[in-house]
Amino acid sequence: MGVTVLQPYPLPEGKSGSHIMDHLGKRLLSLGATHAGQFLVDCETFISTPQHGTPTRAVHVLHNSEYPASTFSIIDNGTGKQVALVADSIFDLLMLKMTSTFTSKKQTKIESRGARFEYGDFVIKLGSVTMMEHFKGILIEIEYRPCITLSYCWEMIREMLQGFLGISVAKEYPTYFTTQTIMNAMGQQQLHAKQNDIYEPMDTVKQYLEHFTNYRKHVQLHGTLASAAGSIGSVMMPSTVGMGRS
Amino acid sequence: MAIPSARESLTLAVNNRFLPNLEYLLQGSILDTAVEHLMHRLKGLCDNVDTSPETFHDLEVCMSLRQPNSPQPLLLRVRRALGRDAPFQMRYLGQPEVDMRRPTLVRSCMDCACTNGILDFLSEMGFRLEFEYIAKGYMFRKGRMKITVSKLIKIVPGKQQDMANEPISQSYIVELSVVAPTGQENVGEEMRLFAEQLKPLVQLEKIDYKRLGNLP
Repeated sequence: MGVTVLQPYPLPEGKSGSHIMDHLGKRLLSLGATHAGQFLVDCETFISTPQHGTPTRAVHVLHNSEYPASTFSIIDNGTGKQVALVADSIFDLLMLKMTSTFTSKKQTKIESRGARFEYGDFVIKLGSVTMMEHFKGILIEIEYRPCITLSYCWEMIREMLQGFLGISVAKEYPTYFTTQTIMNAMGQQQLHAKQNDIYEPMDTVKQYLEHFTNYRKHVQLHGTLASAAGSIGSVMMPSTVGMGRS
Repeated sequence: MAIPSARESLTLAVNNRFLPNLEYLLQGSILDTAVEHLMHRLKGLCDNVDTSPETFHDLEVCMSLRQPNSPQPLLLRVRRALGRDAPFQMRYLGQPEVDMRRPTLVRSCMDCACTNGILDFLSEMGFRLEFEYIAKGYMFRKGRMKITVSKLIKIVPGKQQDMANEPISQSYIVELSVVAPTGQENVGEEMRLFAEQLKPLVQLEKIDYKRLGNLP
């Protein structure tokens, strides 16, 4: 277990998702990486049935094939407070006991799946994101295993990403690590930079949720988004694109 | 080959009956003055007694969620080991079935280890505190059976860690249980035979809570 960063890959115009995945896979293999199985990260969101005086709460339930015995959940209470929980995978059955209070939004079930590669100390996963069987984009996960603090290894991760993706990646830490709000002792929210924190599996899951939420938001705008991404082209794009601000 | 999703694996586990989701239970009690005899008997009968019996000291918090279209609230019990660093345990227990033909009480049961944010998580989901107590005692194993001898301790609100909390009664509760997948009917018989060996020190029975009325 090390530090993981997620990087969306812009889809060039006229190219299909599977074509790009093949292309990137071949690049990794020719670098010397080995193919090491498949992976899957999925997310289902449950919404509370509206009641008088309470804001709508959302429970996001995610799974990561890297941690097959665990279920990751994040509750958003509607007023900005989030609580994260890691539990045994039987938690899924408990959620089904609450279907009259929390209903699954089936149409927003989203997942990223694809091939998993190992390259020295790195694990790279080429994920194809689909929502209800519709292709949404490509999400690349890269993990540097010997380290548990982003600030010590970000430069190396960045160099590796730029090397095999052939795109430029911003020098700044990914936004997930710089824009986290935490609750302080006084119960107020404040900004907290996470790049020096010890990295946990939950951080990977939260990054996925952040990206999945973006893909969901862009459902209606899908056409415009695709053409915008296409115009950037496959090599050297503006440095901020793809850092979760899409 | 595509890897199965977590939901698919879980459905498979339930359908193929290897997910333990039924609890078989017998309960009884013994006075403080006689508990030593029972401990000796259990040490003689059980597996994990090479050293000394395993102790536990847990805080159990029961949380409830009122659900629309259902008269019964959903109850979840969260257990936390006091004085030991261990994951929190969340447990769902279904309505007990007291079938005359079965030797034990049977109820559906789901155990789920969680990180320590669970109580906060449940509160945000809308769960409210129903009751809480401390259970302190000994745990024995015999094959897949679990035997606990525990003292239930009342909590003064806000003083969970306080040693001054008082025991609820002058006796210990004795529980014999197995959590097994659906369809393993021989478990009950195995338990009945074991319970026979603890007589007359303790009389383990299937306790029908409904017949006890609405106790607080």
